[in-house]
Amino acid sequence: MPSLAVRVRSRIRSALSSGDNGAKVRRRRKLTAALWSNLAILRVLLLVAGYAWMLALPSPQLGGSETYIDENALQPAQVNTYWSWGEVRRADDYLAELEALRDRNASSEERARYFVDEFTKLGVPASTQSYSIRSSLGVSRGVNAYAIYTAPRASGTEAIVISASWLSLTDGYNLRGLSTVLALSAFLTRYSHWSKDLIFVLSDSHLDGMHAWLSTYHGSTQSNMQADELELSSGVIWTALNLDYPGHSFSHLGIFREGLNGRLPNQDLLNSVRVIAHHTAGVPVILYDHFDSSEWPGRQDVLKLIPSWVPQPIREHRDVIEYGYRAKNVFRQMAYQARGRASGAHGLFHQYRIDAVTLFAVPSNGPHGFYALGRTVESTLRTMNNLLERLHASFFFYILTTPGKFLKIGMYLPSAVLVAVALMFGGMGEWVSAGWVEIVDDDGGADAKESGKQQKQKRWVTRSRDVVPALGIMIATHVGGALLFLILSSRWFIAQQAALALPLMLLLAAIPLGVQLIFTDAYPAPAAASSTAAPLSLLLKALTLCLASTLISVTSVLNFSLAALLAVVFGAPLSLAGAPASPTAGLLRYVEYAVLALGWLAHGAQVREAVWQWEVLGVWFAPLVCVVYAPIMLQAGIVALLPP
Amino acid sequence: MQWLFLFSIALATCSASWAAHIDEEYNEELVLRALPNGKLAARFAFSTLLKGTTPRPPTKLSSDDASQHYTLFPLALGQLLREYAVTELHLTLNAGKWDYDSWGYPDEPGVGTGAELWTWMGDGAPTSIDERWKAIQNAFAGLFCASLGGMDTQRTTSPTRAFPPTGAMPHNARLRHATLPAENVCTENLTPFLKLLPCPAHAGIAALLAPHRVFDADWHGLGVHVRWRAGVGVELVLTVQAVMDPVRTSVEGKRDWSLRSLFDRTVPRACPVASSSHIKVFPPSSAVALALTPEPFWKGAAEAVYEVSQDTSDLDIAMRWPEEAKFTHPDRNLSSLSDFSVRRTLQGTTQTHGRLTVVLRNNRQTEIQTLYLETMPWHVEFYLHTLTVTCLGGKPCDHLFSNMTYIPPVPHAKPALLQAVLTLPPLATVRLSMNVRKSFLRYTEHPPDAQRGWELPPAVFIPVDSAARRMYTSPLLVDLPTPDFSMPYNVIIMSCTLIALLFGSLFNLFTRRFVVVKVYEDVARTVDVDDTKRK
Amino acid sequence: MAFQLAFAVLLRLGLALSPLRLILKDDDLLSSPLTSHSRLREGIYLFQHGIDPYSGGTFRHSPLFLSTFATVLPSSGVVCALLWLLVDAAGAWALVQIWRARSRLKSSRRDEVIAATYLLNPYIFLPSLSLSTSTFETTLHLISLMFASQGQASPALLILAISTNLSLPSLMLLPPTMLLLLTDPVSHLASPKPFPAKLTKTLPLLVEFLAYFAVLVLACSLVAGGWGWIESTWGAGILLPDLTPNPGLWWYFFTEMFDYFRPFFLMVFTMHLLIYVAPVCIKYQHDPLYATFLLLGIIAIFKPYPTLSDPGLFLSLIALFPETYPHLRYPIVTTLLHLHAALLLPLFHHLWLATGTGNANFFYASTLVFGIANGGALLDCAWAGLRVAIGEADERWVVLQE
Repeated sequence: MPSLAVRVRSRIRSALSSGDNGAKVRRRRKLTAALWSNLAILRVLLLVAGYAWMLALPSPQLGGSETYIDENALQPAQVNTYWSWGEVRRADDYLAELEALRDRNASSEERARYFVDEFTKLGVPASTQSYSIRSSLGVSRGVNAYAIYTAPRASGTEAIVISASWLSLTDGYNLRGLSTVLALSAFLTRYSHWSKDLIFVLSDSHLDGMHAWLSTYHGSTQSNMQADELELSSGVIWTALNLDYPGHSFSHLGIFREGLNGRLPNQDLLNSVRVIAHHTAGVPVILYDHFDSSEWPGRQDVLKLIPSWVPQPIREHRDVIEYGYRAKNVFRQMAYQARGRASGAHGLFHQYRIDAVTLFAVPSNGPHGFYALGRTVESTLRTMNNLLERLHASFFFYILTTPGKFLKIGMYLPSAVLVAVALMFGGMGEWVSAGWVEIVDDDGGADAKESGKQQKQKRWVTRSRDVVPALGIMIATHVGGALLFLILSSRWFIAQQAALALPLMLLLAAIPLGVQLIFTDAYPAPAAASSTAAPLSLLLKALTLCLASTLISVTSVLNFSLAALLAVVFGAPLSLAGAPASPTAGLLRYVEYAVLALGWLAHGAQVREAVWQWEVLGVWFAPLVCVVYAPIMLQAGIVALLPP
Repeated sequence: MQWLFLFSIALATCSASWAAHIDEEYNEELVLRALPNGKLAARFAFSTLLKGTTPRPPTKLSSDDASQHYTLFPLALGQLLREYAVTELHLTLNAGKWDYDSWGYPDEPGVGTGAELWTWMGDGAPTSIDERWKAIQNAFAGLFCASLGGMDTQRTTSPTRAFPPTGAMPHNARLRHATLPAENVCTENLTPFLKLLPCPAHAGIAALLAPHRVFDADWHGLGVHVRWRAGVGVELVLTVQAVMDPVRTSVEGKRDWSLRSLFDRTVPRACPVASSSHIKVFPPSSAVALALTPEPFWKGAAEAVYEVSQDTSDLDIAMRWPEEAKFTHPDRNLSSLSDFSVRRTLQGTTQTHGRLTVVLRNNRQTEIQTLYLETMPWHVEFYLHTLTVTCLGGKPCDHLFSNMTYIPPVPHAKPALLQAVLTLPPLATVRLSMNVRKSFLRYTEHPPDAQRGWELPPAVFIPVDSAARRMYTSPLLVDLPTPDFSMPYNVIIMSCTLIALLFGSLFNLFTRRFVVVKVYEDVARTVDVDDTKRK
Repeated sequence: MAFQLAFAVLLRLGLALSPLRLILKDDDLLSSPLTSHSRLREGIYLFQHGIDPYSGGTFRHSPLFLSTFATVLPSSGVVCALLWLLVDAAGAWALVQIWRARSRLKSSRRDEVIAATYLLNPYIFLPSLSLSTSTFETTLHLISLMFASQGQASPALLILAISTNLSLPSLMLLPPTMLLLLTDPVSHLASPKPFPAKLTKTLPLLVEFLAYFAVLVLACSLVAGGWGWIESTWGAGILLPDLTPNPGLWWYFFTEMFDYFRPFFLMVFTMHLLIYVAPVCIKYQHDPLYATFLLLGIIAIFKPYPTLSDPGLFLSLIALFPETYPHLRYPIVTTLLHLHAALLLPLFHHLWLATGTGNANFFYASTLVFGIANGGALLDCAWAGLRVAIGEADERWVVLQE
């Protein structure tokens, strides 16, 4: 036995002994050489893996975990509900009066006044708040109404918000949502088991009314918004429920959850609502308005998505349909999150750490109505009322593939990170190849047999890497992007956007060309420099790739959908970026990248919407596209313009 | 049941036989105010007077105390007061937020949410004031089943301007004051409370205190008040206050009430040992005709008085509004019952900073001067330099905020104390606002439900000129940033690893010697070897 | 190259006048409890209202700041922002002076570049936008270094004494500064030699420094009216009463520390900081300026309440040592690490404290990344500083340590 120990020790010593530094270095060099020679393949593999993973997210095989309730205090659907047909009648009465208001299209003040009077009749303190929000698209005015019921024996330090907006997230009116809230305010205040104050908010318009109310409640001011101070106040809001009931009755309850800038509510909230709706009211819960693929309307919807040339057996295959259904859900969530949009009025709560969802009554011819909705909401509020702490146990980062299944962050995050790593390797590779050039020293008679060895007789020489011009170009493009954003968000541009969009696009695309024409002599011809100084194109590409990779990997933690979007738009194009031999080819390349970078300007409606979302709600998408995305694409284009 | 009755009779007789020469006196009173918004404020007061006695002087704490004999005065309480030489003591346990605007001022001013304890004690005892303060907390926590032990130095202050003694004082008396806004009040507090009464729950108006009805009220609170009336004696007043809502409990939404409907009890008989026992009823000042049954013993200007005497049995007072089919709620914005209204909020969107805002509205035609008191745990630090006082239209009027005294908080140790005098012009709205910083706590300092946050004590307002009617704002809930509670070992490991890594590599660099190694041929050779392998 | 400087100055001016400073005012990364501007103003407010600012835990600035800002200097408004900008400019000027002293040039093309890089270094100008007093400390370090490299002992020591009074860890800079005063700032990295002068010569310098220091302490006690200020200013750096997050390694460690181990680890962390002084001074005795540079890097990583301006100072000083650039081993890796950390720190801070979706570990992780980035830079510079001596070698040879 000791002999073994001795041998091991000697082995270790020999491994660590200072004698074979040479060997160590050689090992390291071989490793790097191997890595270097396979770098291209590695990059491709990483890219492919990343994209494949993204495509696999909705697949039923990937599965995902069942949703579950994590916070023990919630106890969903564990209470008797008292919401009765009497309350439904009351709600119907309110609805009639609201319809009257709508038909004689009453002003915001009238409506708010009506709400306040109704609350006052019930003995619930109520008040109004008028606001006006300026943006480059114009001014939006309105009046919110809200009532605060201080729960018996409660200290008034906590509150639950139950809200409905005048307009639905579909373009209709949300009258039934509003009358439900009114009826609830009459019903809930008859009970003394509330441990938190109940705040009923009937906000004007769709998003902006609720935004004005919330920011005033939390004392956050905004230069382009004038809103009255709130005359009534309550405590900290942990959870909120927003009702949206546009149709005259509904078949399913759809849950909308995405908040501003990709923030999601704690999953416990969604799961509780789902459990409650199912057990208390017997209403099936779906994501958005996507019917489950097992029901026939849902199945038809998915089939519509699948292109017709797909052969029948494949289209009809269960897994394919399931995949289509899940892909629909995942894509909808990513579409909201990546653009930082809120999918409903609930989304505005998230920025104040309030977990909120919108219950959307999917319009149909039945069978459900006020009765089912009321019971669901009552039970949900009782569940929220049970909370002793802010929701924190369950997940904040997740992707719901179906109402009952979700992907943990570990299941989807790597897909974007893989792409980022691929870009990073690309950048490093370019950096190295910018720093080293292999020159053949032609000595020794070259006969056929030795030629192989001659190949090996190349020498690597370092060359200086002057990053200042590359950095200069990058900074310049990003500053340009900032200017572009200023122009876009200016009132006069929005005014005649249709006329200005194309010229602006061309102008911006032309600037680098002009600059290059002027400065083309500033940088010496590559042939002379290449052995001593690295070509600018390589350096620029290296830095651009590194920057893009960093952005993707950093964003992926905050807002995966955005990171995935960036990964898709950056991944392949930037990897392919390069300086072709002929200037004309370079020019063509540049045009492609310019289109990629600025093409979106043509889509007027989206631009206006994004600008409005930034100015009013502070959604980061518009500045991000202008200051980060477009410049990086342009940099890739400029690489193509520069001499190789 | 029967032996209980016998017991009370026995008690009655013996106390009656004492009553000739005893120096104790027991009075009880119930005040019922019907409020304009349909609610009903009830206040029970049971006061026991030890005639001609004085509190134990603190200097005598070292020597043995004279033996005490009580018949009516609760012995448990009396012993505590003597043990720690307490001159004056006020303990209140309240649940709910008192709505001054629509309920007016309470008969007992101490209505701050949660538990509040303040004592005046003479100094000069062998044991220090703070030791006695701590001991009193624990004793009363045991007596009333309340977690008063949490009133440690991090919550104890001495706001003498806001809480002056209500009775006589020995020289060099000191004040200790603390609040626990998060304290919940329920049956386990009421039961020991009733035990202190001479007629607990069987006779006299105390019989009305049925827990399941009292604790269904909109607001309820218990109070213990001990003070020394110089020349008269030591007085103990036990109070119960509640605000009931007949409208909520009635099916057809009427505001009619009776003792039975409110308390599910009537007054069965008088308390034999009570030298006086009244029930006062204050009808609302509204034009609507009302019927009061039975006919009151005596009718004053505003109130109707009932005497609970030896011959009353099953007294059930009822108030009805015959021609009112359904109660219509008044618009609360029209008239406020309090001199001025206060709204105190802690706004802010992050867990690091916030903004404390106090909005006061003077409801009277006259100028009001009030003392503003904030006792803030060190978890929330004021930025006084950001304090702004604004009047209507947001124009600054700092002159309304005068003679401020401030004791800054000490992290992990002492709370902050801010006192200042506020002047409210007639019918004006004054807005006080300042930035606050939320502290970062050690993970051991967080409560088990860390994600809930911390309840901050209510601010207190004391009118400077008029008779002391303290006003309490509602408490605040502040959520402080929390660390991850599962991390201690990981953090120690990771941070130390990083430090060791840097330390190690740096000293490695310093101590090892440089060598130059020749590699180029070796590389060439290895390449050859590879070629031969491939062939 | 002058246009770079002009651009830098104009940009800085624009930023200083922009409302950005209101947003950054209370940013934990830019100002620590010991350097926060809000707390400074709070202290002044209390001081002017006759309340001892050191009786509480809010105000932890040195009485020097208290007295100057309460009397002479403005502590609010645009004037204040401009003052901070001026202080930064002074720092840049001092840096250029140091460079000239080291390169024995009256002026060179690098001057503007150095100044511009200093002024545009985000780690430098963001703290000064947030009006963090760490800007003053940074500039004072540079000025004392400048005097030291110009061989003017008294001003160098006086200013070092002041900056030690402002933040205690600066004391670590005393030995290399004294060595620097006894030799010259010119680069001897290429030709290491034992320390030329006699070490006994340091004694008078030490005495002088101590004299200045004592005077300052007395002055502070006069201002603060007692010795209470020591506990709440220097004591904070040793007892860590305030656990507000910062880019450093201490705050989360002692947030999560078991109470009964706290004193022990506080002692360990404080001692650990001092360990480095002697070895660095000995190893780089031939070039004390480089030793000072490395010590600044070490302080930036390991000091109790660091802000971004501490690593900022270290990184800007790299501009003084161009001879080491060819020997840096992983410059791009270090740069990328810094880029990642610089983006992650604010984002995770926001995720934890504003949106509340991420917990403290997110931010802690980003501070670790930041620590690794700084450590990488430090190690690389240390290596390069030693490697210079061996000179160029083509790739037939490798230089390594054993």
